[in-house]
Amino acid sequence: MPMPPLYQITNLTYRYGEHFELTVPELAIEQGASIGLAGSNGSGKTTLLRLLAFIESPEKGEILFDGVSVTENNGSPKRDVTMLLQEPYLLKRSVFENVAFGLKIRDDRRGLKKRVCDAMELVGLSPKEFARRRWHELSGGEAQRIALASRLVLRPRVLILDEPTASVDQQSARLIKEAIVECRAQFGMSLIIASHDRVWLNSATDEVKRMHEGRIVGTGTENIISGPWDHGANGLYTRMLSDGQALFVTKPPHETAAGVVNPSDVVISVAQPDGISTRNILRGIITHMTMERDSGDILVEVDTGGLSLLSRLTPSAVQSLHLVPGKEVWALFKASAVDWY
Amino acid sequence: MDYIAQGFIRSIQLLLAGDPETYSAIFTTLRISSLSIIASLIIGIPLGFLLGYFEFPGKRQVRAVVDTLLALPTVVVGLFVYAFISRRGPLGEMGILFTITGIAVAQTILITPIVVSLTATAVESLDRRLRATLIALGARGRQILVTSLMEARYAVLVAAVTAYGRAISEVGISMMIGGNIKWHTRTITTAIALETGKGDFAVGMALGIVLLTLALVVNSSLTLLKKRS
Repeated sequence: MPMPPLYQITNLTYRYGEHFELTVPELAIEQGASIGLAGSNGSGKTTLLRLLAFIESPEKGEILFDGVSVTENNGSPKRDVTMLLQEPYLLKRSVFENVAFGLKIRDDRRGLKKRVCDAMELVGLSPKEFARRRWHELSGGEAQRIALASRLVLRPRVLILDEPTASVDQQSARLIKEAIVECRAQFGMSLIIASHDRVWLNSATDEVKRMHEGRIVGTGTENIISGPWDHGANGLYTRMLSDGQALFVTKPPHETAAGVVNPSDVVISVAQPDGISTRNILRGIITHMTMERDSGDILVEVDTGGLSLLSRLTPSAVQSLHLVPGKEVWALFKASAVDWY
Repeated sequence: MDYIAQGFIRSIQLLLAGDPETYSAIFTTLRISSLSIIASLIIGIPLGFLLGYFEFPGKRQVRAVVDTLLALPTVVVGLFVYAFISRRGPLGEMGILFTITGIAVAQTILITPIVVSLTATAVESLDRRLRATLIALGARGRQILVTSLMEARYAVLVAAVTAYGRAISEVGISMMIGGNIKWHTRTITTAIALETGKGDFAVGMALGIVLLTLALVVNSSLTLLKKRS
């Protein structure tokens, strides 16, 4: 018999915030998979993660774990899954006791001290220096690393991370990413990560799903542009970006519709183009560049007045245009290049 | 004004000399308040936890009643308990009127709402991330409850210390239920009331100094605990 998927979601709905509803008609996550979730704030990433971590239960629909429905009475799969919250909460006790908590409540005390110390080393915190510290004697980045260590020490089958590096310093962010990658290589755990850090998300996961207004709308390497759209001249619809530049699209299905622009349809120019038919000519700064694993192409991320656009280029194009992060460029795509959903 | 100064000097002498009557009142107070605080914590912490942690219909009304009971006048508690435990009362056979037990029972009624209300507030103000964190780390049922209470421990101690302060300083119950019997149920507060009435300021002041010292200890531990929580 084939192994059932790690997670199988059917017809799930869950209300969150004041006006939003998470809707997942169908989602399967395979055993050992590493999945990324991308999307703006309020798109439902955190809610989906909390459901997958069994912190919340769906209002409607079903989540099967290893092919078995998880209910209150049958809570054991819950211990295979652990989640790191965006803002860590440490128990009001020593750092050592925080990391040891999950093992102690499982009554799993064999080699406790060594396992706790190993987990602390893994996140780059010396047990000698930190183990006896109180919960409030840590910086934000250190607290997040201790919170991560207290999950890694459990050797979970599934590690769920909600913006693990959003509110920490750069050094902590680097150590957190390294610890996660290292653990996955060692123990083969499944990862589900929500992050704004597209580059890391692309490198740490096999597949990125993009969320928008409570739905999974595609893969993370698509550009999502959303309204509200104003009716403009020539039958086009427009939206102003925060720096005064305007987006042009054709025929959005409704005023607040969101659409997808394939990164291959986004062209980069190092000089302001003149006399071309493309309507969207957006000046911006390159913020990230990352290599796409499968195609070998380069994904160039350009920030244009708060909208971040991905463009897929060949390595030779990147070389000949001398593209580097920080460089000012123009990102171009046709008003008709938007696919609505 | 002289008699105040003289009273003060003699009060110090009484305390230093270990005056048996003065110390009897002090120890009686400590015995009663210890009994009542232990009883009120045993009853109040679980009730306060349930009230703060769980959502149930009528919760707000229960909360309003408990909060009203915070302002319970000591003489009213004294009156009701007296009515119940006096000879003619339904619990008269227990024979606890004019005993330390009687005072402790009435004080427990007085201070349990303080423990319940402040514990409930402590549990309600626990961080929202706590529950998610505990579930994520694999805690279940009772483990979640016990760990949540442990997280609120400083605030629960604040509740206990506040309740204790109310117990040692109340006079109405001790007077009405205890009867202010020398060597037996005379407490610091009833002794002060009596000695002042008699014009013996020295004993009253000596006991007043002890009461103030106790209050100081209680309050400084409160300040310390609030800082930690």
